[in-house]
Amino acid sequence: MNRLRRLLVTLFALCELLLFAGSASAELRVVTTTPDLAAIAKAVGGQRVKVTALALASQDPHFVDARPHLALELSKADLLIVVGAELEAGWLPALLTGSRNGKIQPGSPGYLDASTLVDLLDVPKAKVDRSQGDIHPSGSPHYLLDPRRAERVAVGIGRRLAELDAGGRDAYLAATKAFVGELRTARQLHEKKLERLRGRPIIGYHRSLSYLADWLGLEVVDHLEPKPGIPPNPRHVAQVVELGRARKVAGLVQEAWFASGTSKLAAEKMGVPLVVIPGMTNFQGGQSYVQFIAMLATKLEGLK
Amino acid sequence: MAAAYFSDEPLPGGAHDPDHTGFNFQQLELAAGAAVDPYFRLDTNLVFSPFGVEIEEAYATTLALSLGLQARLGQFLTGFGRLNAQHPHAWDFSDQPFELTRVFGGEGGRGLGGELSWLVPLDWHVELAVAVTEAAGEETARSFYGESDLGVDSPKDLLYTTTLEQFVPLSESWSLLGGLSGAFGPNSSGRDNHTDVYGADLYLKYRPIDEPEPTVVTLQAEWLYRRRQVPDDLLRDHGGFVQGTWRFARRWAGSLRYEFGSPARGEDGAVAFDPLDPEWTRARHRASAALTFLPSEFSRLRLQGNHDVPRWRNSITAVFLAAEVLIGAHGAHSF
Repeated sequence: MNRLRRLLVTLFALCELLLFAGSASAELRVVTTTPDLAAIAKAVGGQRVKVTALALASQDPHFVDARPHLALELSKADLLIVVGAELEAGWLPALLTGSRNGKIQPGSPGYLDASTLVDLLDVPKAKVDRSQGDIHPSGSPHYLLDPRRAERVAVGIGRRLAELDAGGRDAYLAATKAFVGELRTARQLHEKKLERLRGRPIIGYHRSLSYLADWLGLEVVDHLEPKPGIPPNPRHVAQVVELGRARKVAGLVQEAWFASGTSKLAAEKMGVPLVVIPGMTNFQGGQSYVQFIAMLATKLEGLK
Repeated sequence: MAAAYFSDEPLPGGAHDPDHTGFNFQQLELAAGAAVDPYFRLDTNLVFSPFGVEIEEAYATTLALSLGLQARLGQFLTGFGRLNAQHPHAWDFSDQPFELTRVFGGEGGRGLGGELSWLVPLDWHVELAVAVTEAAGEETARSFYGESDLGVDSPKDLLYTTTLEQFVPLSESWSLLGGLSGAFGPNSSGRDNHTDVYGADLYLKYRPIDEPEPTVVTLQAEWLYRRRQVPDDLLRDHGGFVQGTWRFARRWAGSLRYEFGSPARGEDGAVAFDPLDPEWTRARHRASAALTFLPSEFSRLRLQGNHDVPRWRNSITAVFLAAEVLIGAHGAHSF
């Protein structure tokens, strides 16, 4: 009996050690779904936050594998920031349930849906169903391709961080101001450089460029996907090529996570450049959001 | 829904497997799940078939217990192994592996009760779970009380399922999931007779993250070892399956599977009389191949061929063409 008691006490002690080993940190643990949000959260939170992103910049954020260790990451989070507008509907809910973290469930102060901070485009006006492809019923979630909307997201994140960590309010306010200032200056520079693209038509791959077009005044006249989520087929591509030639488009633009074989062929046939843009900030690679927008603008200079 | 052809009378399989030459209605599944409040969510799964409606799963899950704990209460598929907890529409093949049918039943290991799971506070993902459920169920707890519910007189008359699951992200593109499971409960062959089932499972997934490739390659295997106390003997048998799937294009996948099941042997090592499957006196092997076309994430067409070799009778060759469609709010995929 004595030996059993000793064993139980040792086990308990070990458990206590394990439980407390991970929780001794003063930083706020922020987890975001996409690396864009992570880059903005890090810029606004500074040293007071530890930020992790669930998806990589090279992944299509609609189709992230809900790998179980991501639930482990979520279990330790104080704040979860999501893009919303159903971008993560295919993979986040299972991870949220598996995280067992009451602090970050939807509706709690530790859950921030960034789509509530901006006005969305492509909100369907009529009833939608899947015969139209994979439509986002609340609007397009790709708003972080527009640095003006990113400013609003940054302010919203700063505000929420201040709510969760009152002691850091001044630091978050200062960092938000600095970030917004830096982004605005950079944005105005890019707008000047890309002034010639205002009003120019382009062809997209997936229906995800509306915010980019809204920012730079581009017009997306068609997409290689016949419907969102349906891969290009030869007949539709031929129609797009014809339209592209007729409208004298500036080029074909697509994110790096899509295969480029069909796009290269289509661009050649139209005699226009294919511009492959980074889809999201390479946060895990150390890139900041401002650097991402700069890279985006540089790539877009390749348009005719 | 599947159009099937069998060269000979097939052996009893999963409750939703095609089982006769002609058109087979596999199942119509209605899934509804939502958060009830910040503390619970409810998930339900009703299955409609030409024979009626059945509650496949209906359970509440806690969302905010502390210390990494989570409880489930209700009727649910137990977490034994990996394939058991998945619904048939998520499988890579249109039929259930026969070892799972033999050990648990055509509906898979399922029970009414509760489960407590613990996400161990380590730096890598380890999850421990214990479930306590009713031991009766002809199609859900076949190796236990099965169709004869002898009642619950003490905690020993309930079915306990324990699982340990470990996930290792080998790299951004490679994932490995390994688990050990146990199911312990009474069986109906006599007073105080018990059945123990031990299982090991492995799942390896390759999905290149750095290139815009649709390629996904998965390899999974499960092995089950069962011991049953029967009057005057201890029956032991084992079996399992190994399968691989290669998604080689955005809309196409090919799969191969091999299954094995040994006969039940008594304490002396000789093949013994098995009250659940009296005809299973020799080894059984089955090889399957499938080609799946996925027009979108919500629809699927599959051509599958099976060659079933139960050594105690004629072998059976089967071919099926199965179609599946999904409507409603997009349920999240678990890994």
